[in-house]
Amino acid sequence: MASAHGHDDHGHGAAVDHSHDHGADDYGHGAGRGTDHDPRHQRTQTLMEKMYFPEIIKGLGHTFKKLFAKKFTIDYDGTDRTNPDKFHIPRPGYRGEHYLKKDEDGHVKCVACFMCAAACPSECIHIEGAPTPPDWKNRERYPKRFEIDMLRCIYCGYCEEACPVDAIALSTTYNVVSERREEKIYDRDRLLEDGEKYGLSLSHHHYRPDGVPGALPGPKAPGGH
Amino acid sequence: MEITIADVILKLIPVALVIGALLNVVPLLVFLERKICAWIQDRVGPSRVGIIGPDSPLEILGINTGYTRILGGLMQPLADAVKLFTKEVFVPAGADKFLFTMGPFFALLPAMLAWVVIPIGPDFGVELGDTVYRVQLQVADLNVGILWILAVASLSAYGIAFGGWASNNKYALLGGVRAMAQMISYEIGMGIVILSMIMQYDSVSLRDMVYSQAHGFTHWGIFHQPLAFVLFTVCAFAENNRLPFDLAECEAELVGGFHTEYNSMGFGMFFQGEYIAMAAMGALIATMFLGGWHYPGYGILNNFLPPLAAAVGLLVFSIKVMAFLLFSMWVRWTLPRFRWDQLMSIGWRGIVPLALANLLVTAFVHLK
Repeated sequence: MASAHGHDDHGHGAAVDHSHDHGADDYGHGAGRGTDHDPRHQRTQTLMEKMYFPEIIKGLGHTFKKLFAKKFTIDYDGTDRTNPDKFHIPRPGYRGEHYLKKDEDGHVKCVACFMCAAACPSECIHIEGAPTPPDWKNRERYPKRFEIDMLRCIYCGYCEEACPVDAIALSTTYNVVSERREEKIYDRDRLLEDGEKYGLSLSHHHYRPDGVPGALPGPKAPGGH
Repeated sequence: MEITIADVILKLIPVALVIGALLNVVPLLVFLERKICAWIQDRVGPSRVGIIGPDSPLEILGINTGYTRILGGLMQPLADAVKLFTKEVFVPAGADKFLFTMGPFFALLPAMLAWVVIPIGPDFGVELGDTVYRVQLQVADLNVGILWILAVASLSAYGIAFGGWASNNKYALLGGVRAMAQMISYEIGMGIVILSMIMQYDSVSLRDMVYSQAHGFTHWGIFHQPLAFVLFTVCAFAENNRLPFDLAECEAELVGGFHTEYNSMGFGMFFQGEYIAMAAMGALIATMFLGGWHYPGYGILNNFLPPLAAAVGLLVFSIKVMAFLLFSMWVRWTLPRFRWDQLMSIGWRGIVPLALANLLVTAFVHLK
């Protein structure tokens, strides 16, 4: 049966094995089951391919070209001297480290409503609310303590979604290094500082490693972010 | 023969050259291996730890070191070495401590021993006072020559077998068993190829082989025995457990093969042994097929400044060896690993018959 189909490396043995029961005959190779009879393995090799060495040399030629090909790597921190402006900039929707925003008076925008802490699936936000000092006219409460444990945080962005006054947001900062665990618990002042550094407003969602705050050209995220 | 102090000192020259070169070339090879791997895969490779580069001392001092993508990671091998040296030496539970410790030594030592008989440069005379001292750039001109290399190269299988057996780990054992089977299979092909080269040069001494390849390119072994060259290269890859024949390591199925349980400098020595064995194979190929240290113009240069001629010969020889090493890296990152049955099939049904045929033809040609 198999010989009727021409190429029959595996044919004769398998043909005895009631191979047509398995429907592999469609491929014309009288194969049964098992990887050896996989039709993909049964493509007829040309003489050049069977000799093997020409194919190896072809492959070597390809990799030799690759040696000098342009590399895909982007030095994420901008250390590629041939292209110093090229560092990895996350897209606007990227969820990096948090920051807190300030209102027009320069106070923290947060009203200590605990919505973010409630929404947080990893319970990494710890807030201690307090009545505002008398000269804060626009609201009654503010966070006396506002800590985010960055080691617990899973960067889901639910806090940003939950915030009713748009006080907390995720920046695009990703390459922050700490030497001790305690450093990864960000307090209110640190978060506000980061806000000044990274996010002047929601439309300036980016941070630039050269220290200049402001928007970088790039596609706008849906919803004006 | 009386041995004088001068003889000892003269002998120390090739010894120092070989040991110094071998121990220092390994970090360079590791660096090259990682770089070539990266380049072939469209990556940059190590580019951070270096004399030049973003985090280098010069940059900290405020000196811009410019283009860093090619040589930026030059000090990476140093970092690797520091890491390996400072790691805890760990012996797994149930391991045979003695053999486990001996494994890496048996991997490294034979690889270095092979270099004993390799002529790394031409002889030259140095005139001091009224005596002429002959310096031989070969550690020992053994009259068994190439057979010595075959003997010690087989020893290196013990290192892998010990490592695999003593680790008390099934993957390591499988890797060790595979390495043994593979080395035995390919040694036969390699031995037959070497036999035909011995016929070709009418000598087993590597020194004689090199000297009979003098007088220009056309005398090089590769032009007289092209098939032997190809077969020997394939066998050399298999003998060193290099891809596409690294069934003994086989990360995909055996974790790390024979060195799965090794860490710290034990692993480092396996690594070193592998690279030095590669270099030894490269040296053997250069000696048998590529004219050894011979280069065009050696005769002229040797007439009026022998030490310089010898130094250039040394350089040419290292270039030839390095060419083989670079080629083997290039092959490593091009070809996928063979299946075990394919490996055995190539060894026994491909290389051995071809080598035998080659031996037969060589015998007829040299029939006198």
